[in-house]
Amino acid sequence: MVLIGINEFIYVASILFLIGLLGVLLRRNTIVIFMSIELMLNAINLALVAFSRFNNSMDGSIFVFFIMTVAAAEVALGLAIIVMLYRQRQTILVNELKQLNG
Amino acid sequence: MIYPYLLLSSIIIPFSVGVLFLILVKDMEALLARFLGIFGASFPFICAWVIYFNYDTNNLDAYNFELILPTGLESLGIYLHLGLNGLSLPLLLLATTVGLSAIIYTLFSKAIGNNIYVGLLFIMFSGLIGTFSSVDLFFFYFFHELALIPTFIIVMLWGGVDRHAIALEMTIYLTIGALLSLIGLISLYQTSGAEAFNMIELKMALASQPLSELFQTNIFALLFFGFGILVSLFPFHSWAPKGYYAAPTGVAMMHAGVLKKFGLYGLLQIAIPLLPLGASNWASWLLVLGLCNILLIGLVTLAQKDLKKMVGYSSIMHMGYAFIGLGTLSILGSGGVLILLVAHGLSVALLFLLSTCIYHRFKTFNMEKMGGLGVIAPNLSVLFGLSILASIGLPGFANFWGEFVIFTALAESDLTQGFLYLAVIGIIISAIYGLKAIALIVFGVPSEVLKEKFHNGSLRDMSYLEIFCSIILFASLLLYGIFPKVLSDPINESLSKYNAFISTSVESRLLNNLNLKLDTYNE
Amino acid sequence: MDNQIMDLLFNLLGILFLPFFCSLIIVFSGQIRNTVAPFFSLLSGLGSLFLTFLLIKEFSEPIRFSWDWIALGVHKFYIGFFIDSVGLTMLAMIAIVAFAITIFSIAYMSKDDSKGRFFAGLSFFLFSMIGIIFADNLIMIFLFWELVGFSSYLLIGHYFRRDDAKDASQKAFIVNRVGDYGFLIGIILTYWHFGTTNLEALAILIGADVSLISSGIGFFLICGFIGKSAQFPLHVWLPDAMAGPTPVSALIHAATMVAAGIYLLIRVQFMLSFEVMSFISYLGTFVALFAGFCAFAQSDIKRVLAYSTLSQLGYMSAIFGLGFPGIALFHLITHAFFKALLFLGAGSVIHACHHEQCIFKMGGLLKRMPITSLTFIIGTLALCGVYGLSGFYSKDAILIGAHDANNLVFYGLVFAALLTSGYMGRLIWIVFFGSPNSQAAKNAKEVNIIMYLPLVVLSFFAIFVGFTNLWPAQLGATILFDLDYLHHLVNYKVLHNKVLILGSGAWILGLTMAFLFYGRGTKFDQLEKQLPHIYSLLKRRLWVDELYAVYLDKVQKPIAESFSFLDEMVLRGFIVRGCAGLIGIIGASLRLLQVGRLDNYVIWFFIGLIAFWLYGLNMF
Repeated sequence: MVLIGINEFIYVASILFLIGLLGVLLRRNTIVIFMSIELMLNAINLALVAFSRFNNSMDGSIFVFFIMTVAAAEVALGLAIIVMLYRQRQTILVNELKQLNG
Repeated sequence: MIYPYLLLSSIIIPFSVGVLFLILVKDMEALLARFLGIFGASFPFICAWVIYFNYDTNNLDAYNFELILPTGLESLGIYLHLGLNGLSLPLLLLATTVGLSAIIYTLFSKAIGNNIYVGLLFIMFSGLIGTFSSVDLFFFYFFHELALIPTFIIVMLWGGVDRHAIALEMTIYLTIGALLSLIGLISLYQTSGAEAFNMIELKMALASQPLSELFQTNIFALLFFGFGILVSLFPFHSWAPKGYYAAPTGVAMMHAGVLKKFGLYGLLQIAIPLLPLGASNWASWLLVLGLCNILLIGLVTLAQKDLKKMVGYSSIMHMGYAFIGLGTLSILGSGGVLILLVAHGLSVALLFLLSTCIYHRFKTFNMEKMGGLGVIAPNLSVLFGLSILASIGLPGFANFWGEFVIFTALAESDLTQGFLYLAVIGIIISAIYGLKAIALIVFGVPSEVLKEKFHNGSLRDMSYLEIFCSIILFASLLLYGIFPKVLSDPINESLSKYNAFISTSVESRLLNNLNLKLDTYNE
Repeated sequence: MDNQIMDLLFNLLGILFLPFFCSLIIVFSGQIRNTVAPFFSLLSGLGSLFLTFLLIKEFSEPIRFSWDWIALGVHKFYIGFFIDSVGLTMLAMIAIVAFAITIFSIAYMSKDDSKGRFFAGLSFFLFSMIGIIFADNLIMIFLFWELVGFSSYLLIGHYFRRDDAKDASQKAFIVNRVGDYGFLIGIILTYWHFGTTNLEALAILIGADVSLISSGIGFFLICGFIGKSAQFPLHVWLPDAMAGPTPVSALIHAATMVAAGIYLLIRVQFMLSFEVMSFISYLGTFVALFAGFCAFAQSDIKRVLAYSTLSQLGYMSAIFGLGFPGIALFHLITHAFFKALLFLGAGSVIHACHHEQCIFKMGGLLKRMPITSLTFIIGTLALCGVYGLSGFYSKDAILIGAHDANNLVFYGLVFAALLTSGYMGRLIWIVFFGSPNSQAAKNAKEVNIIMYLPLVVLSFFAIFVGFTNLWPAQLGATILFDLDYLHHLVNYKVLHNKVLILGSGAWILGLTMAFLFYGRGTKFDQLEKQLPHIYSLLKRRLWVDELYAVYLDKVQKPIAESFSFLDEMVLRGFIVRGCAGLIGIIGASLRLLQVGRLDNYVIWFFIGLIAFWLYGLNMF
């Protein structure tokens, strides 16, 4: 039986985080970007839970609950904003939303 | 002692009059406005002379009429600390005289009958009085800004051609200058370890713990360029001619006549006595740049065809004498600078006033299109001619003493003697442009149209208002020219308390000669 | 102070301030200015004359008063009065000449519409001139020196509607300023070199230690003299200054102000080294000759006299430079009387000919204006140094002194005397003899008594002022000292005879030559016809004025304009606008980064994060 140590948890979390990051950087669709951000948050959650477990401390787990709560609120707000955006602009692709071009 | 309160009230009264003018823009009765205006303008003038006659030159303290009021900023060492010494007293006289003339002219001339304008002028006036009577450096700077900001607003709103761009340029230049000097002042305060942000405390702190030479040099550079920009030091002068060209008369008089002197006053009152090593390191720059002001700007003045621009450039040129005088770092040079500041302030204000009078006759500032003023307006011509001659240093007017004393100071050490030969060329240059202006404006035959206007009475020689406003300035110039002791006694008293300027070798040689002379007389 | 000294002080102040208050009263008398001006001028002239005589009567030893005027540190500049026999002699001359000229002006200017300005200017001039005489230190001399220049400016520009007056007044003031440039530097250097500018103290200091004399300071000091006395190369303003009213030319540009330069030299003589003195003497000789030549080609009667003044000033400085200040002063005094006479005579001729100044349009005036003509001729003879007239005594002394000291100067001056009688003869023959050349000259009548009375008085002085024995004992101590020196030369008799022969020969020859050339009266200049090149060269005053014009047009103006251009374009346009532009460019390029796309910003954010991370790891 292979022992799963802290390293394995961190590898998975890092990969998930990188996938999320690349998603944020490369994807155009706002909803996909949003999902990527969620992915990154969950990667962090995973890492925090792992640290909590291996350090025999509850701190990380408590922090995870906060992040999950905030993420839920964020999803609610963010999706609402995206819906409003689509109603106004008929698009949710970020490359078309460049009103701030100076 | 009532006098410190007189000083305080001569700051507060113009300020409150100005605020009244600003608040009651529409509702003010003309008669009331005039009464208030005359009161607000003449009260400080009278106070200044009362204070002058009660000024005690034998006072052992650095300042007379000290008054310290709390401000709520005591933790920063800031108090409303008023007081006068021999260096600020002449400038107080200058400020009140020019202010009186400028405000009365603005109040009564029909060109701009706007209460906001008059109100801003009053605020400027109180700032000017405040800045010269503050011992506290915070208020010294604060009152300067109080006078400076109305300048921008007035130029922006009531200026001449191209006023927006010019007001912007002035604002940028003068704000940068003021900020540089503020940085210098604050860093001086911070490093000196003085207990309060005023000149007396700073002087005491620095006397017990002198700053290092490097630090002095750096801070002096900040003050030198900061104050220099405010005084239109070459090459930072380009705001001045355009600014004065665009500014309405009252502001041009107050700014060129008084506010501009703030920079040199700061150098003389603060920078040089507090930072003697820094000053001696920068003295050569003071001399060189001052010489550029005299010669280069003098030549530029020669080429001007526009009367108001010529006056503006000539005022930049004359500031060169002041920088050179400071560069000698001697009692004689600094005393000459102060006399010149007062004299030049009066004469340049007078010239701006008279150029406006002349403008009203010819409807142009272009000197080549004028001519024959002597035929149609003899009083104005005589006054204008004499003011030009005063500004080019004719004896009998105060400017002569300023220039003469500065030139004398230049020859004191062999180092600066070379500058004497070059700087005195200035008196030839200024004679050329001054007389050219008189020749173009006063001499010659007036055009037929103009003659006709004077015949049917639509244009006249000077009005009583114009005569009153210019005679105040003119008489002061004569007073200080004939009795220079009025200025030089308090100046001398204050400068003698500085130990920054004693070049013992020359002084002792002089004293030896004088003693020899006395001995031979006694035989 | 005891009473007598106080009296003297009041007397001095009275003489100084009487003309000053007179001009003040005129200036402030408003509308009635033109009416009251002559009256007050006359009154102040009389008062000055009276007070001067009182002063001469009371005078026994030099008088001095002084107060400090401005004090800074150990430096004090004094206002002080000092008067000795030199000053008193000058004062007496000024008071008499000025009074005569004031009377003359009342008639001469009677039709002028700005008499007020004229008389105020004249009085102010007297105030400043007397100030120079009374000054006890160089700074005070400089102060009044400038004021004299100012009043001269005012009076030359009296006819301010005319272009020539406009240019001439400007030129006079500016050229004088150029001289004052050196004078001012000289005074300042004197102050630091000696520790004082008081003339007496300077004399004592130098008397104690001759090695204190410095040639440099001397050269700077005499710049003032060169400007005010119109010596080469600053002589250009004097001929042009004739644009002023004729009484002004008589008082300021012949008798008093231009002589102030010589007076200054006499005052500072002890400070001048040998080099400076010989420079002055050669310069004077050169000017005497140069101006003499130029006078031949002038057709304006006043300009001829102006050049003659230059030439006589050259005489004075030549003999001064040879070490005879007394003789220079003597010639100054005699010259003042006969030159004032000549100018007033010219004024009366001009007045009679309805402001015609060209001599070729005059002619035959002897019969029409006998008194003017006779007095004018007396003045001319005095100027030429005819035996028995005042000019003879001073010129004789000059020539003897020059012979004693320097042969080159001596022969130069003898030749200049020949020139003097030549051009004055030319003037006399053309203007007063022959037949009238214009309608104006034909209708000329003798002027009224107010005008010819001063002429008569002045010609009296022109004849008799040379007899130093007749002078009050208080005057002329310096003059007598130098004359005595000459009288006690071993070969005085021989010299005297030689000079008498040469001098008389010069004027006889000159007048005869002039007679042969112009004797029958003429409408045009013979010289011009026969020697056109030389004539035009002389008429153009050896191109010196052209040189100045070229300097003004081709050097000063372009330099001024190019500096103005540089200031406007390079400093304001290039550097200031350049700074503004640079900031603009930085702003514009930063703006390119603001693409407005979210993914872009995220990339930047990420790069920044990495940069911070690397910084935190001390990678850079």
